[in-house]
Amino acid sequence: MLRFFLLFVLLLAVLFGLELTPWVQDWLVVPWTSALASISTWIVTLFDGNVVAAGKVMRSNANGFAVSIEAGCNGVEATLVLLAAMLAFPAPWKHKIVGLVVGILAVQLLNILRVISLFYLGQWNYDVFEWAHLYVWQALIMLDVLVVWLIWVRRVPNSDDHGGPPAAPPALAAG
Amino acid sequence: MNERRRPDTAEGGGPGAPRLFRSPLTRFVVAALAWLPVTFGAWYLLGPVLLWPVRLLVQLVARVGMGDLVQTIESGGSSLAFITTLRPGEGIGTGVVSVDVNMLVYAFGMPLFAALTIAAREAKWWRTLAIGYAVMVPFVTWGVLADFLKGIAIAAPAAVASQTGFSGLQRELIAFAYQFGSLILPAVVPAVLWVLLHRAFLERLRQRAG
Repeated sequence: MLRFFLLFVLLLAVLFGLELTPWVQDWLVVPWTSALASISTWIVTLFDGNVVAAGKVMRSNANGFAVSIEAGCNGVEATLVLLAAMLAFPAPWKHKIVGLVVGILAVQLLNILRVISLFYLGQWNYDVFEWAHLYVWQALIMLDVLVVWLIWVRRVPNSDDHGGPPAAPPALAAG
Repeated sequence: MNERRRPDTAEGGGPGAPRLFRSPLTRFVVAALAWLPVTFGAWYLLGPVLLWPVRLLVQLVARVGMGDLVQTIESGGSSLAFITTLRPGEGIGTGVVSVDVNMLVYAFGMPLFAALTIAAREAKWWRTLAIGYAVMVPFVTWGVLADFLKGIAIAAPAAVASQTGFSGLQRELIAFAYQFGSLILPAVVPAVLWVLLHRAFLERLRQRAG
């Protein structure tokens, strides 16, 4: 557990540091945030044709309300946490790759729900929007990351099932 | 004192339970989601009390390490107002610059941790809650202080920021501390803490899946 924890913290710090670099911002974070706005807008237009996307902004043509998807709301940090947690946990690479693909998809799908819900909450009641934006959705996204990781950990074979050292204690039970 | 888990834990579930809810993980998640509104409500109502140690820590750090920048810190509910020694700039006013910080923004991990801990229903969960709360207080303090420093060193107009005397490297460090303290720590600390304090619960989840 100590090895997992230290590796997780190290990976998270490195990944987060990389995320803040101009290159990663320009080539990954900003394009992804714009794509997130476009995807969310596309979904919304299935039942509300008055919504348009411009860059990282979703705007209602009906009343002018707009939300700008900023750092912390684009799901990138949640993805980094999941990435660090899965890479740090002792598991076969095949499980890590499958877990990351499915896990990142699960996190981003919930994040799309967050963006769309905030877009409509903001038009309905600003106080509720602030509460949901600043507190509730932050906790729900982290809960999503934790649950995805727990499901994945349950499916990871024990070390002696995949040829690992048989004497190794279960990772979660180790002190 | 009985150290064993309570028999009706999140991992229980009788044969009469619906198939989906026989999964201990599903029951745990449902319980956590059910507890979240309760813990969020309690956290919001008790915010000034729960964040009182954060205020004390912030005041201590400000007095010891930022005495030249901070005159006083005023508390209003769950917010802090940093009254600085900085001037708003020539021709703008004669007062001093103040920075307001909403401590709740950095403390939403408390109700998350509480919901997860209560949902796991391990023995002595109240002690786990107390440990988690005590560990989270310094991280919330980090976020609040970094927010204040960002306010005067980065977000403030150049006429104000220049009075702080921070070097370019110090500004970069403040920016990183703020980003890490706002985007990563508030959400990650409660989750990591919960994992660390529920290793036996997690191991049982794994064994049942195996």
